[in-house]
Amino acid sequence: MKYLKPSGVALLLLAATVLCMALPALATAAGDVPPSIVYAAPYKDMPAGWGGQTVIVTFKPALHAGKLDSVVPGKSNLWINGKEYPKAVKALSEASYGSSLQFSGFPAVPQGETRFRVVLVTASGQSASKAWVFASTGKSGVSLIDFGLMREWFGFIVKGAPIAIYVAVGSSVLAIVFGLLGALGRLSKTMSYREAWKKYHSWRYMGEYSLRLVPYWLATLYTSLFRGTPLLLQIYVVYYAVPAFIDLMRTHWALWNHVPYPSAIASGIVALSLNYGGYVTEVFRGGILAVPRGQHEAAWALGMKNRLALRRVVLPQAFRVVTPTLGNYFISMIKDTSLLSVIAVPEILKRAQLVGGRFGNFMSPLLVAAAIYWVLTIFFSFWQMKLERRLERDRKAN
Amino acid sequence: MTAKPTETAAAPSGSQAPSSDELVKVERLHKAFGDHQVLKGIDLEVRSGEVVVLLGPSGSGKSTLLRCINFLEEPQKGLIKVGGTEVICGSRGRDYRKAVMAVRMRCGMVFQDFNLYPHMSVTENVIESPIHVAGVPRRVAREKAAALLEQVGLSDRANYFPSQLSGGQKQRVAIARALAMEPELMLFDEPTSALDPELIGDVLMVMKDLAASGMTMIVVTHEMGFARDVADRAILMDDGVFLEQGTPEQLFGSPQHERSKTFLRHIIKDNGSAPEPVTRDDEGRVV
Repeated sequence: MKYLKPSGVALLLLAATVLCMALPALATAAGDVPPSIVYAAPYKDMPAGWGGQTVIVTFKPALHAGKLDSVVPGKSNLWINGKEYPKAVKALSEASYGSSLQFSGFPAVPQGETRFRVVLVTASGQSASKAWVFASTGKSGVSLIDFGLMREWFGFIVKGAPIAIYVAVGSSVLAIVFGLLGALGRLSKTMSYREAWKKYHSWRYMGEYSLRLVPYWLATLYTSLFRGTPLLLQIYVVYYAVPAFIDLMRTHWALWNHVPYPSAIASGIVALSLNYGGYVTEVFRGGILAVPRGQHEAAWALGMKNRLALRRVVLPQAFRVVTPTLGNYFISMIKDTSLLSVIAVPEILKRAQLVGGRFGNFMSPLLVAAAIYWVLTIFFSFWQMKLERRLERDRKAN
Repeated sequence: MTAKPTETAAAPSGSQAPSSDELVKVERLHKAFGDHQVLKGIDLEVRSGEVVVLLGPSGSGKSTLLRCINFLEEPQKGLIKVGGTEVICGSRGRDYRKAVMAVRMRCGMVFQDFNLYPHMSVTENVIESPIHVAGVPRRVAREKAAALLEQVGLSDRANYFPSQLSGGQKQRVAIARALAMEPELMLFDEPTSALDPELIGDVLMVMKDLAASGMTMIVVTHEMGFARDVADRAILMDDGVFLEQGTPEQLFGSPQHERSKTFLRHIIKDNGSAPEPVTRDDEGRVV
């Protein structure tokens, strides 16, 4: 089964490189996005109570022409009960996964009903505002499981779910591409060197044959490397190595100044898909080998070349074989997106950690995150089960 | 069948003038699996319109010979010529591969276990190669497929999937599928061996019609009745060589070799059943 030629491999490698570079560009290509206020403290039922000393506004960072549009503390304002505090001390922290502006240094606010209003203004003049009323309940203290905190922050944490699904779907698609190429590479070895020598007794042929085995060796190296090292490590390497590589290139070629650093999400998708692609390679290899040899022969006898026989006859049958296994890998992938929290992808676990860190209570948000993952996997398992039943029914009908 | 332009590849064109209507020529064909010699220098000529039946005990190389003719097995030595395409076996390279593809386009093959594409309907099975290999427009291919299915008596099964068909129906679809490529030569590799006895008749009927329409056929079979009624020539193979050949009457009536006599006695004693003991022992009535 000689499906991949070395020239094809070169082309595919080129395409993969271009794709990897285009991904981050696509991810960051956006116009103007104003800041959006996610929440503001003090809020009702704050578990630690409110000391009356600080107001914290957490917001999603603004973009201007696709670049971070920083909030300017000097232009941003706070009103308490209608009174403006321009002299308040403002501390800004800005990051892609969540930013906050903290106001302090104003006279203590009495307990009771208080009206707040904040306005955030960015360097390019975009703004966001929020007004709310706070009334202390007098409750305070931190408990192991804080249902109030869970309720209040569920919305924030669950916003990681679409990101997790996006990452899982994107990585799955890429992993299938990598896996398919890997499997074809792995299957491109049709005989051993010993057999090749016995067949033709020609050094020239051995040279040609070695060249033809390049896809095989590449695929073997790929699966071995990515199945033989930890996924977490691969995530770190992709996230840190690619910008370092771009930096290196920039010192030599000015053209590389136009190549953006990949976003954390893009790095994560690349790392996850490369890793899973290693496993999917073996799945596809098994699936293709499960198609009876008679099917290849029928296609050849009917005038098809290898490539056409593969596309029209073998792969459609192989896909049916591997679909349930791919479903399992997808569900596993959803859970593995949590590993991207280490490179600050604002997915479910990262958000739970942020909440936990802010309030010194990790148990509650982590339980929320666990519940979200659980529901997601139950949901996708259900669909996988339905799909498997359908395939089974088709198989029986066939 | 449409005439195809004569092409010669990977070989100097034939030095000796071919006999007038010779379609297939096999010369000094050698094939080995590892150290096991399966074909030991086969010479075979088949005239256009001739029906040749290959007989022989299990392992005599008759299936291998058939599969070598369209290069599903690659012979190590020898020469194969089908229509105007000549291939020197054991060579390689682009011209060789082109010639192999050209030979395959001239041959239709029917397998013992059908090998229909399970993920396609009957019609899709038939039109697949005409559309994607021969480049026939879909509409034309569909009309042609309908006619062929009519010819094999399966018009009412056009939209069924292979899994919904009986063995005999599957084999008839396989024949229609092979005919759809308009081959000059049909190769049958034990087409009835995997069928229940009551299903063999329909398939043999289609093959008889095909022979009557002038198709050149090489058939590996154990159906002695079919051989007697339809074949122009019967060839008895043993251990990689042709033991004996002649008209079916000659071969069955007065075999010359001791081994031929033993083999034919076996077959006739078993009432035409296959000499192989596997799954086929009570297969058969003689049609």
